[in-house]
Amino acid sequence: MNTRVTILPLLRVDGDSRQPASCGVAVCGLAPDVMVSLGGCVRARGLLRPVLRVTVDRTGTPLDDILPDVLGCHSVFEDGIRFTPHFPFERGLSYRASFDPRPLGRPELSDVLTLKFALSREQSASPVAVKHVFPSSDCLPENLLRFYVCFSGPMQRGRVEAEISLLGPDGEPAPDVFYRAPVELWDRGMRCLTILLDPGRLKRGVGPNRELGPPLKTGREYTLAVGAGMTDLSGSPLPETVHKRFRVTSAVREPIAVEQWKVLPPKTNSRQPLVLTFPRPLDWALLAQTITIASACQDSIDGRMEIDQCEKRWSFIPASPWAAGSHHVRVASSLEDVCGNSVIAAFDRPLRPGSELAYEIGSRSIPFCPV
Amino acid sequence: MKAMKTSGYPARRDVLRFGAASAVGLALRSRAAAASDNTFAKGGGSGPLRSAGALAFGPDNVLFVGDIAGATVHAFVLRATDVTSQADLELGNFHNFEGRDLVRGLDQKLAALFGTTYDQIVVNDMVVHQPSQQIFMSVERGRSTDALPAIAKVNHGELEVLALDQIPHSQVGIPNEPDPKAMLEFDAQRSFAITDVKYYNGEIFVTGISNQRFASTLHRIPYPFNAQMATCTVEIWHPVHGEFETRAPIIRQLIKEVQGEPHLFGVYGCTPLVRFPLASLKDGAHVRGDVIGELGYGANPIDMLTFTDPFDQKEYLLVTIDTRSASRIAVLDLGTAKPEPTGGSIDFGPGGLGRTQGLLPIIANHFALLDPKWAVQIHRHPKTGYRLDVSTLATPYFFERRDGMSEMNWRDGPDPFDYRQHRGEISTGANR
Repeated sequence: MNTRVTILPLLRVDGDSRQPASCGVAVCGLAPDVMVSLGGCVRARGLLRPVLRVTVDRTGTPLDDILPDVLGCHSVFEDGIRFTPHFPFERGLSYRASFDPRPLGRPELSDVLTLKFALSREQSASPVAVKHVFPSSDCLPENLLRFYVCFSGPMQRGRVEAEISLLGPDGEPAPDVFYRAPVELWDRGMRCLTILLDPGRLKRGVGPNRELGPPLKTGREYTLAVGAGMTDLSGSPLPETVHKRFRVTSAVREPIAVEQWKVLPPKTNSRQPLVLTFPRPLDWALLAQTITIASACQDSIDGRMEIDQCEKRWSFIPASPWAAGSHHVRVASSLEDVCGNSVIAAFDRPLRPGSELAYEIGSRSIPFCPV
Repeated sequence: MKAMKTSGYPARRDVLRFGAASAVGLALRSRAAAASDNTFAKGGGSGPLRSAGALAFGPDNVLFVGDIAGATVHAFVLRATDVTSQADLELGNFHNFEGRDLVRGLDQKLAALFGTTYDQIVVNDMVVHQPSQQIFMSVERGRSTDALPAIAKVNHGELEVLALDQIPHSQVGIPNEPDPKAMLEFDAQRSFAITDVKYYNGEIFVTGISNQRFASTLHRIPYPFNAQMATCTVEIWHPVHGEFETRAPIIRQLIKEVQGEPHLFGVYGCTPLVRFPLASLKDGAHVRGDVIGELGYGANPIDMLTFTDPFDQKEYLLVTIDTRSASRIAVLDLGTAKPEPTGGSIDFGPGGLGRTQGLLPIIANHFALLDPKWAVQIHRHPKTGYRLDVSTLATPYFFERRDGMSEMNWRDGPDPFDYRQHRGEISTGANR
């Protein structure tokens, strides 16, 4: 007696579920004659779409209109078909796949198979937290231009306006103190956020400054609050709201005076650090990329730098011991202090006559010799 | 009006949905036949994009895309199959200024297409391909380092996605890295948020804001891309800021010939309107622009374009603003307006052309012109806050008439525009 074995089609997630980019949805176990019909569907352009579909289980709030299926492409393999999404399936999100063979017109294949699936979320290591807020000092000038808020991991954009505030001396959020940038200003790794105070209120004579005054008032205490509602890459909030308290000192409206820097020369043939100290704090981000060390025979000496003492000290440890002879500290003109005053000019400066307009590049140079 | 829409629209849409499905099927078939589907091995369906921001069209179907994460401007040369004419699309009834929704629930539909939830969808910009009147949008799925960019387009109410890896492409890097000679270590922390890209006469103009330097840098780049690029820094003085200089970044720009010479008009945050002769924007130049208007502070510009009023046939500049009504300024005045005096008395603004600006009730996330009679906006539906819609607005008033009552609909009400005579009309390619 012959036994007829019927292979039932199987609908499954295809790929390594630990790597969403490899995942699709496949139906397999289709009989050879069904595959012939499927080939006809492929030739008939687009008819595979109603046969194998994937939708998001819930995209959000209800809409009185039909939502499209997940975008992707279909491919035919030996005993089945595969749907590959345009963008990888998201971890933790629930999807619904369906295999509806009825358009194939085969009476023995009339059952619609459905599959609800979700790729498991990655176990996030430690929760992301605020690592540092720059400027580090708790005394900041009245015309402070920006804060940098650095996080221990990548964050999501879109919540800055709601979550970051400046609390006034009364503990209430001070209104209209930040510049609303057209896009949130994150670094490429989404770990460091730049918050600008409203330049319109910092610049003397501009409407907001005349009407509302500077965003900060000398002598008062403020708190920068980074709300717990800031979310990391996985969508998790911060463990807690972070506060940076500071007292406001008088405004600084003059260029960076490089000639006032103190240079502590290192010893020849040592790898002692070269130390620069500044009379007032400089911009943390720009400090890291505007100072280089040159020797008589080398344009830029390799080494490692450190910034500390509330951005008032910059140290450089060379990769190789210091040679004797003349060296230079080169300071690019783009270096700024915490108020946006550069090596060339103050952030808020008197108008120059048109004829004095010049392209401002170049650098300052401080000579020193290892001792 | 209502009955007409509900009876006519679904049938048309069903037909068009079939058409859209067929088009996608064609693309799928070619991939399946190739028997290899390794698209996702190299960055998913985003092609060369790392992010998708400011959009602009150039001639010959070139779509420019500002890519902040990639520090690049891309140029995609769209093929005939990438663009579908929308000339037969119903845009609204021009006689009663009533627009219509082209896409309802844009963010939810994009979320469904991209396999996510609507809160993970960001629509960064919108542009209209004028020859076909097709709407293109730069979209991202995700809000962090995992964000995946795409260019979506609207085809008769249905959303489609450009197959970016199959479209002829070139790109140009936007220099933003600090001078390598001026730094010790590579620093990936600097980013330049491209705020606008515009094409004019064989060149693109790129503006943006750095996360580390509050300065105004303008890149002028020949297209087709070659090794040349002009970078200038620009500064202004504030009209209400008679004595001090401003190095703020330009947020939106528009290039327009006025009085026989091309000029770049820039709008800044806190909204000064500034005029630069294009000829002055040379490589290495440090240029000071003429502030010709102060549109009112505390706001950011969103879109900047010009349109012709079909009633007075005059051309106007339109600047949509994030916190208030849009500004309308006669283009003729852009050329003739005197720069605000320097060192003059303090003026609280609005100043210059800001004093004579007309206000238009546009509160749109994105705004563009479709044709001489209709504009399109992406906006949050006022009565259904969860719905982000793409809908049309009639020129030159640009108000969402459907959201309010109108006397023109009443039997004995005033009818200055012969609305009752044209009650059932919908403006399409045939009667536009």
